[in-house]
Amino acid sequence: MSDEIRRLSDELARDPSSLVFLQLGEALRKSGQLPLAHKVAVRGLERHAHNADAHDLLARIYVDRGDLEQAFDEWDMVVRLAPHHVGAQKGMGYVLYKQGKLEEAEAHLSAAASTDATDASISTALRMVRRLLRYARVAGNGTGAPGPAELEAAQRRVEEEAHFLFADVLGDGEQTALLVNSDGLVTAGAYVTGDGQDVAQEVGSQLSGVRDDAQRAVRHLDLGEWKTLLYETDVATVALAPTMDDSMVLVAASRSMPLGFVRRVLDRCVRRATMWLAEVG
Amino acid sequence: MSSPFEDVLASLIRHRGVLGCLVVGEADGLVVDANVQVGVPEHVVAALAAALYRRARLASQAAGLGQVTFLQLEAEGGHICAVGREGLVIVTLAEPRAHIGLIRGAMLASVEALT
Repeated sequence: MSDEIRRLSDELARDPSSLVFLQLGEALRKSGQLPLAHKVAVRGLERHAHNADAHDLLARIYVDRGDLEQAFDEWDMVVRLAPHHVGAQKGMGYVLYKQGKLEEAEAHLSAAASTDATDASISTALRMVRRLLRYARVAGNGTGAPGPAELEAAQRRVEEEAHFLFADVLGDGEQTALLVNSDGLVTAGAYVTGDGQDVAQEVGSQLSGVRDDAQRAVRHLDLGEWKTLLYETDVATVALAPTMDDSMVLVAASRSMPLGFVRRVLDRCVRRATMWLAEVG
Repeated sequence: MSSPFEDVLASLIRHRGVLGCLVVGEADGLVVDANVQVGVPEHVVAALAAALYRRARLASQAAGLGQVTFLQLEAEGGHICAVGREGLVIVTLAEPRAHIGLIRGAMLASVEALT
C-alpha cells in the first residue's frame, strides 16, 4: 500500500463522512486495485448519494473493469446532477464511441469541448470521432446513420491513413516518424525495427516523458514555448516538436543523416501532422 | 581552489549568445562548477537540465536507441544544450541568436573533461 493510500485511508477512518473517499477511490483505481476502489466509491455514495464526482469516480472504475454500460449509467446520473460536468460528457462520449454510436459520441464530446477547451484529450478524441464519422458517411454514400460495415470501413481507412501519414515525407531513408498524443499514445506513423517488430507504442510512450521534462524546463526558466528537442545517440538522432492538441511529432533517423536534414524532415512532418489533425475541426 | 572544469567552462562561455555553462551531477542536479552571467539562476538551470538529460538518456536506452551524446532543447526564448559522461553533464544556456553548431562542437570536444 502506498503512503498516499495509507494516509487517505487513515483520514477516512477518522472521519467516515468526509469527501476524502473521492481521493482514496481515485488513488486505488489508478493503482489498479479496482475491487477496493469500487468498495470505497459505493460506500461513499451511501453517504453522498447526490455527489456528482462520486458517481464520476464509480463510472471510471466501471470503465477500468470493462463494464461500459454501467459506466454510462453512472455518467448519465452525473449529468443529471451537474449538467456541465466535463468528465461525464467526455466519459459518455468515450463509451458511445466504443459502442460505434459516433453521432451521439460527437454530441457528448462537443459538449465537453465547449465546456473545457483546454483539455487536449477531449479535442483529440473529438477529432477522431469526427474523422470516423466523415469516412463512415462516405462509405455509406451519405445515406442515413452509418451501420457496422461503414464503421468498419471507416476504421480501416483511418488506421491506414494514420499508418502511412509520414510515408511520402520520409521516403525510403533510414528514418521514421510518429505522432504521439498528450497521453503518450501513438496516433499516427510507424516505427518498425530491423527485425520487423512494430515498437511504435513503446518508443512513443518512453519519449513522451522527455517532452514533459522539456515543458517543465522552459516553464521554470521563462523560455516561452518549446520548439524542438533534438538529441543524438550513438546510433540515432531523435527530434521532437509540438503540434496541435498537445501532441508531438517524433522523428528518429540514422546517425549518418546530417542534423540539419533531420530538422527539415521534422518540420515537414509537423506540417503534415498539423494539416491532418486540422482536417477535422 | 580551482576546479578541473574551469578551462572548459571559460571556453564555452566565450561563444556568442551563451548566458551560462555549468557542470552538473546527473543524478542529483547539483552544480559542480559554473560560469554564468549575472541573473542566470544557475541552481534552477542545473536541476532542470540534469533532469531533462537524465530522462532523455533513460528513455533512449529503454527505446533501444543507445546512449545520448548531445541534447538540445530549443524554445522561443533560448536554448539548453547538454552533453554527459560518467554521471556528469555539461550544460549550456544560450540566447536564441546563439550559433548552436559551434556550441555543439565545443561541447562535444569538452566532454573528455568529464572523466
